[in-house]
Amino acid sequence: MARPSGPARAPSALTRSLADPALSASVLLLWGALALFVVYPMLMLLARIFWVDGALSFAGLRAVLTDANQLRSLWNSLLLATLVGTAGTALGLGFALAAERCGLPPWMRTVVDAAVLLPLISPPFTTAIAMIFSFGPRGLITYDLLGIKGFSVYGLGSTLFSETLTYFPIAYLTLRPVLAAIDANVEAMALSLGASRWRVFRTVTLPLAVPGLANAFLLLFAASLADFATPLILAGNGFPVLPTQVYLQITGLFDLRGGAALSFVLLGPALAVFLLQRYWVSRAYYVTVTGKAGAQTRLSTVAVWVRGALFALCAFTTLLIVYLYALLLFASLVKAFGANHAWTLDHYRHIFTDGWNAIRDTLIIAAFAMPLGGLFGILVGYLVARREFPGRRSMELISMLNYALPGTIVGIAYLIAFNDPPIMLTGTALIIVACYVFRYGATGIRATMALLAQIDRSLEEASQSLGASTATTFRRITLPLILPAFFAGLGVVFIRSMTAISATIFLVSLSWTLITVKILNDMTELLLGPAAAYSVFVIAVVFVVIALTSWMLRRLRAGGAPAASLLGG
Amino acid sequence: MSTAAAGITAEGVAKRFRHRVKGEIYAVRDVTLDVRPGEFLTLLGPSGCGKTTMLRIIGGFERPDAGRVLIGGQDVTWQPANRRNLGFVFQNYALFPHLSVFENVAYGLRVRRQSEEAVARAVGDVLALVGLSAYERQFPNQLSGGEQQRVALARAIVIQPRVLLFDEPLSNLDARLRVQMRVEIRALQRRLSITAVYVTHDQEEAMAVSDRIAVMEAGRVVQQGSAEDLYYRPQSEFLANFIGRANLVRGRVVAADAAGAEIEALGLRMRTPTPGLAPGAAVKPVLRPEALALADAPGPAIIVSRMFLGDSVEYVVRLAGETLYISASSASASPALSEGRSVALRMAAREVAILPERSP
Repeated sequence: MARPSGPARAPSALTRSLADPALSASVLLLWGALALFVVYPMLMLLARIFWVDGALSFAGLRAVLTDANQLRSLWNSLLLATLVGTAGTALGLGFALAAERCGLPPWMRTVVDAAVLLPLISPPFTTAIAMIFSFGPRGLITYDLLGIKGFSVYGLGSTLFSETLTYFPIAYLTLRPVLAAIDANVEAMALSLGASRWRVFRTVTLPLAVPGLANAFLLLFAASLADFATPLILAGNGFPVLPTQVYLQITGLFDLRGGAALSFVLLGPALAVFLLQRYWVSRAYYVTVTGKAGAQTRLSTVAVWVRGALFALCAFTTLLIVYLYALLLFASLVKAFGANHAWTLDHYRHIFTDGWNAIRDTLIIAAFAMPLGGLFGILVGYLVARREFPGRRSMELISMLNYALPGTIVGIAYLIAFNDPPIMLTGTALIIVACYVFRYGATGIRATMALLAQIDRSLEEASQSLGASTATTFRRITLPLILPAFFAGLGVVFIRSMTAISATIFLVSLSWTLITVKILNDMTELLLGPAAAYSVFVIAVVFVVIALTSWMLRRLRAGGAPAASLLGG
Repeated sequence: MSTAAAGITAEGVAKRFRHRVKGEIYAVRDVTLDVRPGEFLTLLGPSGCGKTTMLRIIGGFERPDAGRVLIGGQDVTWQPANRRNLGFVFQNYALFPHLSVFENVAYGLRVRRQSEEAVARAVGDVLALVGLSAYERQFPNQLSGGEQQRVALARAIVIQPRVLLFDEPLSNLDARLRVQMRVEIRALQRRLSITAVYVTHDQEEAMAVSDRIAVMEAGRVVQQGSAEDLYYRPQSEFLANFIGRANLVRGRVVAADAAGAEIEALGLRMRTPTPGLAPGAAVKPVLRPEALALADAPGPAIIVSRMFLGDSVEYVVRLAGETLYISASSASASPALSEGRSVALRMAAREVAILPERSP
């Protein structure tokens, strides 16, 4: 069955990539989309700050940098991010050590994993709301239990506490695999050379975990730096931070240029963290995690009392999370939290009648953003990881940009870019969908690339050698194998579409609004019951979607496909 | 299951890669090969010698920077891999993890849009051929290494390829299975009388399976020939050491005639069939361990170590500043020859090869 022979000529790499029409079409399409929804808004943002009346001007930036108040909010932001990074990494390390080095009993591990999932899948300010319920002026602990009147929950302390509790699961999920990947024999060897357990931990375990720790710190630092809702609820007037200042500048003072200039100050540290994480930490990572861990028992490198302390830490934190979420549920089911604790379903009735618009809009937007974001993720991930075309590296970098930058910046950029002709999208659902697709779809890129890194190229070559074309190979071999990344991407985009606020708060309109924005409004108007009911609803929906996605992922894995993490990226 | 065997010709093939530290390096330089239809050719060489790159160029996974490749007389240099109709067996087998054994093997047939009936028949036949009829519905991760190897083989031959290409197919198997599988691969290739190119770094494996071996070093083919050719007539010190073991010593031509020459080395007299040597010239004879023997009499050599290996006894001997390796069949080895004894040496082989003059 000989086939006709191909032409005997030597095409260049460029001609070859152009010769594949499917490849060049998808590359062009993606570049077009990235130019429109990533590059263009950023350029418009910069233009708004630095281009005044047809001339280059640094006046806006200078005004921000000479304003003592704004400088203080920059300082506060960096201080808060550093503290959250440190505290969250320490707490995450404690959890990871308990899970990987102390033989946490399986049931306890399940409870811990479920509890740390809660902050990850809730709207980012849920713990902040629960903090108000617990420690606010009419809080369960401050008012009812301790009888303190006029206690102020607002400020650095409670913001730090709330953000640490919200973001430490990221550190835990980052550090657990790092500790697991350290070869048990390396620690056993150090012990057999006569080192004490503390010495082994200090001289072997900890140094090997340093890239992981740095990574966890940077992730938490970035998360805190970008967090807008927690400080808005908890920081109060005495502790202004950048993202909230930007928001107030724009929505309170209607000063778009000033807000943009302020957000530019936020851009510096955020970009620095992103580049540091990308080009330094992630590289150091894989160098340390080498060798196969044997199937032997790990010698315990943790003393008995340390183990007890770590268990206590885990138990206390887990209970605290469960308590805060239980409080949220409670607040959604009583007439008026702190005043009248009679059971009622009024708040749920309210959100499904008066508040139905927000729920419907959010679900519609999530339903559109989910498949598009999932597709965007695997398409970019596949092209960047497996195909050769001009501008491959820059495509990866640019497609990660909206995800890496704080939502506040992305939101303002969209607001500026799509408010005027030629592209007017303000007030439409499309602007919110686009924001989610290019912001959270990017998580699928990492997941796809990680998955493809595990899939040897020889699989695709085997398919080719059996006569399959590139398109057939993609459809029948590559696509089924990266399907887990697609579903993980769908899950992440959906969860974030339900819970995100920092970017989209600038993009909602009378015709299209979001649940998270509604929660925030209710909180500022002290409508605590509906805010709690909305939060419970969001968490419930997200939980169902996670359960469905995990089920899909398990089914795919049963078919032999490699695993992908739902929270990948 | 018959295939029309095709020959393979490679002419002046070269391939460069960019290396992060060393800059541009040649993986393959100016390789010319001619594989006859139905022949089993092995590319043998140490890691990094370019043998896998050469195989991938034949398979269509790499484009050469120079030269051309012909299969069945047809220039395929720029033909994509999926149109060459070759069977490729990968080192890691590259089985599709999400497809069953049946679907893995059927893959190439489905790509060729064969009827469901024809697919079922062909897959059944080929699985029976490799002894895996009962495994149709299993998934690759449920199979042992040897079974996966057989599936990979079945998947490659079911499309009735013009040529079979093997990239170190046995390197992931344990020693016993490796020996068994190489016998099976050779038997299968004979039975299908298909042209095969096989890559390995294991000289014993190469000698066991091949009609002809092409030894590669630093991107070039340094010698081609049958296993006997390479073993008895190595063309360089590298080859003498790479195929089997060799004692390379200095010798001198004592007398020459039309049929060869008489040489003296280590105080022993030996013959070489190489003609045209001048009496008195310095030469390098290749003394294989079994070409030398220990005489059960006192002499100038000292036994440094003696290792009993079952079918043979291996000696390490010091003589005149040289360390020599000598192998004797255990049936003929005298127990009296123990470590520390001084013994005399004698020649066990009638003829030895000498390395060519220019060889390093």
